[in-house]
Amino acid sequence: MGPEISQFLAGMRKTMEQVVLPNLSDRFAQEQAGIVAATLAFLEQVHDKVFHYELLEHHLYRRLLGQTLDLLSVPEVTDPEIVETLAAIQRQLTEDPPGGDIHLYRYDRLRAGNESMKELLCELIRLQPALPDAARTALGDLLQPFFRDLERRERSWVKPLGFDAQADQLPDIAELLYCNDRLQLPGDGRP
Amino acid sequence: MSDRTPVQRQRSAPTADWIAGVRARFPVERTIDDVLTRKLERRSLPAEHRTDPAALEKRLEDYLRAVTGQPDLEFANLQRLTGGASKEQFTFDLRWRPEAGARTTRKLILRMDPSESIVETHRLREAQLLRAMRGVVPVPEVLWVDPTPEHLGHPFLIAEFLQGTVQPEGGDRASGLGMYFAPELRDRLKDQFVHHLASIHRFDWRTPDLSAYDWPQPGTIDGNLWSLATWERAWHEDTLESHPLMDYAAAWLKANMPTVARPVVVHGDYRSGNFMYTDDLHINAVLDWELAHIGDHHEDLAYTASGILGCPDENGTMLVCGLLPRDEFFARYRELSGLPVDPERLFYFEVLNYYKMAVIAVATSLRTAHGRRTHLDAMMNLLSGFGYIALANLQRLLGPGGGR
Repeated sequence: MGPEISQFLAGMRKTMEQVVLPNLSDRFAQEQAGIVAATLAFLEQVHDKVFHYELLEHHLYRRLLGQTLDLLSVPEVTDPEIVETLAAIQRQLTEDPPGGDIHLYRYDRLRAGNESMKELLCELIRLQPALPDAARTALGDLLQPFFRDLERRERSWVKPLGFDAQADQLPDIAELLYCNDRLQLPGDGRP
Repeated sequence: MSDRTPVQRQRSAPTADWIAGVRARFPVERTIDDVLTRKLERRSLPAEHRTDPAALEKRLEDYLRAVTGQPDLEFANLQRLTGGASKEQFTFDLRWRPEAGARTTRKLILRMDPSESIVETHRLREAQLLRAMRGVVPVPEVLWVDPTPEHLGHPFLIAEFLQGTVQPEGGDRASGLGMYFAPELRDRLKDQFVHHLASIHRFDWRTPDLSAYDWPQPGTIDGNLWSLATWERAWHEDTLESHPLMDYAAAWLKANMPTVARPVVVHGDYRSGNFMYTDDLHINAVLDWELAHIGDHHEDLAYTASGILGCPDENGTMLVCGLLPRDEFFARYRELSGLPVDPERLFYFEVLNYYKMAVIAVATSLRTAHGRRTHLDAMMNLLSGFGYIALANLQRLLGPGGGR
């Protein structure tokens, strides 16, 4: 299979920058063509990491929801909407058990599963005022390191877009995803 | 693409019941409700956004002949403007007889909504406030406004076109975010910049016609409730994917919402990129009033001073909007406005403003590009890079040691 996607993208960007942009006279067209060139440059950096990014997210959301279930499936948690959401989380995790073969599915299916997990987590966060104080504090403690990792991952992902004033202090997304050329899934027992 | 769950499918093709549910859940101002509801009702229309300059020219000419009652007016040089991220903007020359005046030629600007915008705002609100602010701070004169799609297919306003500089040479940033000003520019512009903000906040908004705005009662949370609900509603209507930090932040904002002691006009987007200056370095226009509302002055202060809109000087000191250090900004503001600067309120609005930026640049921008509903689809995708930095700032503020 060839050429590789990266070659397509690099070719389009070069043409845009060296042929199209210099020959445009309309300022609006120039501005938009510049944005297209910048977008192509971004895609060159990330296109081959999209599936693994989603696979990592799947692993992390799955793990967090499992921990949330362990934390909140206690007699003190009685609010009907929360209990219902916990049951929906349980169903979602059962459909896709640990050690499953999600990596063999199409990208679309992986994204759909991730979005379902995000929606459930968001629902639980919306409902958290109805949790007993201790449970709410414990949920907050669970979420904080998750949010910190999420922030780091997202900033590294968009780093090539050039908006981040601290970009030079951020790892490239490949450094976060891979160790020894292999996707790192925290807590999966592999080195 | 991005319509994989029932919730996502509802957002992309909202039913009447779903729209009614969203409206009930988020209490926003009347005219904000109008534009957000119209956006949802039109979302399922299949057409992508297209602008045909020839057709626009014809409709605009017809409108101007009708609104002035002058079939002999002369219209020329319709040209699209660069810059900006929310509205389609064109300049044109118009030769006509203004009311009680001799025949004259003026260069005018047309600001028109795309099919969906990175921010859905109301042209009548913008026009009313621009008219109210004449003589208070420098603003362009509004000549005509139509907040309906009747005449041009989209709501619009027409104002005088002012000459001036928005982005200094070498200060280029997308939409003017985080712009750099050389020291001599800073020295001349910074005091005017703070002075105009203080003037906006001192303005007595109860006198002019601001009927398109809902007026919060002093000493209540009304203004802040509407402000948060506007952005929360936009998030739930527009986002392509859920994000747990956004729900966490919204919960925090509800739980910690302060009252507004003395409601003022909040510009809503007061920063570099949204003012213009002349060659002799006088600010001759404060622009982009579309996010204005009546609320807490700390909302503007926190926004203008947010790090994401700042730029370091030559020594690495972060400057508010690239113009002056944070402490100097607040001290000068206090002096010029006579209003207090409360650190706790500043913190609250810092969180609200990063929430708002994330809504705009992660949810609504990507939604407009997803539906191909704007004239800037490629730019809308790119702006997500800004939105994720806003999210990172939310995490910093609400995380351990963030100042909660």
